[in-house]
Amino acid sequence: MRNDNATDNEKLEEELLDLVAEEGMIERDALSRDAQLAELDIASADFIMILMAIEEKYGIYISVDNEMADLKTVQDLLSVASRKILEQSEA
Amino acid sequence: MTPPRIVITGAGAFSPCGAGVDALWSSARDGVSAAREIDFDTIPDQKVKIAASIDAAMLAPYADRLKPRMQDRVAGFALIAADEAITQAGLTEADFGEDCGVIVGSGFGGAETLDANYLKFFTQHYGGSPQRLDAMAIPKIMTNAAASWISMTWGARGPAYCISTACSSASQSIGLAYQLIRAGAMERCITGGSEACVVAGVFRAWEMLRVLSPDACRPFSRDRNGMMLGEGAGILILETLEAAEARGAEPLAEIVGYGTTTDAGDLLRPDPDGAAGAMTRAMADAGLRADEVGYVNAHGTATVANDLSETQAMRRVFGNRFDEVAVSSTKPIHGHALGAAGALETIITLQALRNRLAPPSGNFGELDPAIGFEPVHGAARAFDAPAAMCNSFAFGGINASLILGSAARL
Repeated sequence: MRNDNATDNEKLEEELLDLVAEEGMIERDALSRDAQLAELDIASADFIMILMAIEEKYGIYISVDNEMADLKTVQDLLSVASRKILEQSEA
Repeated sequence: MTPPRIVITGAGAFSPCGAGVDALWSSARDGVSAAREIDFDTIPDQKVKIAASIDAAMLAPYADRLKPRMQDRVAGFALIAADEAITQAGLTEADFGEDCGVIVGSGFGGAETLDANYLKFFTQHYGGSPQRLDAMAIPKIMTNAAASWISMTWGARGPAYCISTACSSASQSIGLAYQLIRAGAMERCITGGSEACVVAGVFRAWEMLRVLSPDACRPFSRDRNGMMLGEGAGILILETLEAAEARGAEPLAEIVGYGTTTDAGDLLRPDPDGAAGAMTRAMADAGLRADEVGYVNAHGTATVANDLSETQAMRRVFGNRFDEVAVSSTKPIHGHALGAAGALETIITLQALRNRLAPPSGNFGELDPAIGFEPVHGAARAFDAPAAMCNSFAFGGINASLILGSAARL
């Protein structure tokens, strides 16, 4: 069971990486998980587009809270977004 | 020559809390929120379900006065609020004419008309049966319609302006009215803002921007996650003290200071320097010390960015007196009324000053270490200082701060 969850989460994070690359207009291969969002030039407008794409793909509404505002790396974004998607899917 | 002193002699509010200033003030003072569940037929997968809206039942008692074929809801709200303000001020026919201006702002203008018209337009475009569009769409949608209907209804033939600066529209309208009366351009002014934006198209557009909270508006709280949309109209009657005294009208309070600045930075991200600049200029205009302002009705939208930036700005302006100032945001009560926000909130500030009572900030959960202060919450708090401030900060980087002084200082 735990392994399934871990796999699900990994799969979700990989999908989200695709989505960040597409919406942030960044080459997928160049998108490393420990890259700083600021260094990738992901501006607030790109960020809104990423949240929009998450809504379209997963049907989940994420507004900007302190946690979203404090994201530093790509992995931070993947972790917080995947957790919110899983939480809201279960709700 | 010393410029004239400018006083408020009437106030009117039509808000999701109900018709009238009393309904708005008692809701704010007692922390009774007008938030309600809202469900739009035309948004298939609506995510956010709360707003503070004005429904048809609230407008029904005014059916004989409103002209829906010629007026969008935005003009109706403004006329209802203006009627209350003019009645309280006791203005008669002789008090209008060219000496009386109208400065009433709006962000979206006739949003419902625009929304309905586009829906019909595109339904036909995508193969639906032809539907007659609204022949009066243009005069109903134009943002100055509310100001013009007020001037026509009462015969106010002085300067008319419509300020459309998003969330600062109403505060800048009141501020400009104050400056223009002081400069001698008119003797009195019907001023404020009106917004009727809780319609599907506008609501969905705000949802897209990810600044609407999915559950509750919690200004300054660590767990805040966005704003709640509101709507309504707030109208004030401003005039010179001399003109008010000549008519035997009772001043409710004085406008003692106004400051406005522009960030000239980011379109959406607020800059504490710009906000502090507006407040500092308002304080200098009023000639007040920090300890003379007892209450600040904050812009406090409950977005992460605004509340942090506004707090940094207030700390700069009030310095080591900041902890003694009662600060609250009343947006959890009446919602964020965008182009009417500054008017509804100036009216709450007026009532707070007259009752020496700072209304509570709704839904405050826990201290945000990044913000480092707690607004007034739980219950209203008494204050004793003779002045109160009201802030509005808009997308586009437009900051406006108004300061009201107690009538006892006149």
